[in-house]
Amino acid sequence: MNKRPFLALFVAPATLAAIASAAALAAILQYAFRAYVPGSLNPGGLTLDNFFALLRPLYAQVFIQTVWICLLTALITLVVAYPLAYALVRTRNVTLKSFLLITAVTPLFLGEVVRTYSWIIVLGNTGFINSVLKGLGLIDRPIQMMFTTFGVVTALVHVTLPVMVIMLSAALSHIDRDYEKAATSLGAGPVKAFLTVTLPLSMPGVVAGVSTAFAWTFSAFATPQMIGGGKVSMISTLVYQLGFASFNFPFAAALSVTGLALTFAVLAMAKQAIKPLEKIGAH
Amino acid sequence: MSAERIDPREPVSPAVSAPAADAAARVAGVQIDGVTKRFGDATALHEAWLKIADGEFMTLLGPSGCGKTTLLNLIAGFLEADGGEIFVGGRLMTETAPYDREIGVVFQNYALFPHMNVAKNVGYGLRMRGVGKREIDTRVAEALALVKLDGFGERKPRQLSGGQQQRVALARALVIRPKVLLLDEPFSALDKNLRGAMQVELKEIQRRLGVTTIFVTHDQSEALSMSDRIAVMSQGRIRQVGTPDEIYRRPLDPFVASFVGDVNVLPGRLERRIGETATVLIAEGRLSVSADTLEGIAPGAAVDLFVRPDAVRIAEGEGLVSGTVATHVYQGSHVDVLVDVAAARGGRVTVRVPGHGASTRWPVGTRVSLDFSPADAVAFASDVS
Repeated sequence: MNKRPFLALFVAPATLAAIASAAALAAILQYAFRAYVPGSLNPGGLTLDNFFALLRPLYAQVFIQTVWICLLTALITLVVAYPLAYALVRTRNVTLKSFLLITAVTPLFLGEVVRTYSWIIVLGNTGFINSVLKGLGLIDRPIQMMFTTFGVVTALVHVTLPVMVIMLSAALSHIDRDYEKAATSLGAGPVKAFLTVTLPLSMPGVVAGVSTAFAWTFSAFATPQMIGGGKVSMISTLVYQLGFASFNFPFAAALSVTGLALTFAVLAMAKQAIKPLEKIGAH
Repeated sequence: MSAERIDPREPVSPAVSAPAADAAARVAGVQIDGVTKRFGDATALHEAWLKIADGEFMTLLGPSGCGKTTLLNLIAGFLEADGGEIFVGGRLMTETAPYDREIGVVFQNYALFPHMNVAKNVGYGLRMRGVGKREIDTRVAEALALVKLDGFGERKPRQLSGGQQQRVALARALVIRPKVLLLDEPFSALDKNLRGAMQVELKEIQRRLGVTTIFVTHDQSEALSMSDRIAVMSQGRIRQVGTPDEIYRRPLDPFVASFVGDVNVLPGRLERRIGETATVLIAEGRLSVSADTLEGIAPGAAVDLFVRPDAVRIAEGEGLVSGTVATHVYQGSHVDVLVDVAAARGGRVTVRVPGHGASTRWPVGTRVSLDFSPADAVAFASDVS
């Protein structure tokens, strides 16, 4: 007798969704190998030209820039998120804990567009930062932050922060506090105890957080589109331009497929890096 | 040698001694002067007073939540006291940072650093002290030899058995030559046989090094077998401090009597008290016991007589109480004969008979008289009237 009579029923919606997204992916995959027929929405015959086109400096440049922005964002997010996650896990003060949780995690529920829009208000030429600096008499002319890599990375860090905080908190909360106590009793001050014990033990969480942040940023669209304004190109914005401005679906598909492959490659590398670290955590 | 009663109302404070003698007393060992710890509204430790001599093996014994681990954490510096002072080797600990206290701690779960091998774990305290590499290697090798783990330096903690991890934890705590060694229920994760072997080994190492040791446990047999002295704790208070024999044979209150070892309770009445001796009436007789534990109790008051199973004999003739043999519990080296005695609290008296002939000599249903020496009985005011 079937022990789980409703299993099929429960799994059905997820299966449908999975089939739909697999079909979409398959469509994109086959588009990537079809020729672009200018002036037509239908692709031509099978070809590898789309992938060769990616090697042109113009597009290769966007790949390099995307990887650079993603790495920068992931690392800055790590530096900002670690203290937050540490405080969140370690504080016994309930008010502080709630405050940290709200500041760190609520942005997740605001949506990328809303969060990015708030950054336009902060970073714009007549925005918060520039008007404050001007008011203080520190600058005469506004500092250009919109449409720059700096602006895009700043907003992406904010967008990525909640995910990183959640992943680091999970890793840190699994570290037994007795390790720090042991280090302390053996003569390590708070900083040494952190650097020699807590930090190394949290490395699986750090690697997982950085690789997730990387993948998260790689697929971000609204932020680079709105803050970069076409001046800071990332793969996602390029796909949009090619697909919906030039209607070159095959090339956009090839770009997407390559981006996806790159993301998988990065995640696989992170998994390899985590392997020896995970054994550490097991005790 | 009388047991030292710890009572805040009669402080064992050094107030009476001259300052010079006081300082001398603080040179070695551990001194806990009226230490209090509160968590919110709950008081985890009520003004604890305790002196531990240099090289002594002191056990803090009590049920969970009695404050023993709190006291240990206060000594280690993991918690801050709300009042009182702690001295280790003459140094005031309550003003010393925990990483500066030179105290070795063995944790219940060992807390071996999982990302370091055994040698790196043991050498950690030395590296933090900036000891030279060559000296670290020598001292780590010595410490591993001490705990019989020579050649295990390259292994990772997860490749070791529980007993081996325990030894590494001990070596790591001892290699820094601590002024005090603190052990927090270190054997609770080990199986029974290994626990016995590790107890003997720890005791031998402790004696050889002469390191002052504070051992926390809830296991009374562990406390009795290992300690020089035991401090029995309950509900945040130190109830009695004494040698294992004093604690076992001359408990100062009913809690200590029933927590440490098995005990039979016979309700009775205090007849009179003359000097050091009190006469107590029980069911079928009267006996004279020490009056130490009956201070302030008026004649006529209900008292409980506590007697250990090993102090009770099955009498040939007349005894102090009588009953019917209900059951035998064979324990190998001895047999516990459970006797239904109407006059006993719980209706039962346990008699511990050495050897194995008890069941044939006194089969179930036999009427027996029970006897014991008044010297083996302790009387307390009854809390059931």
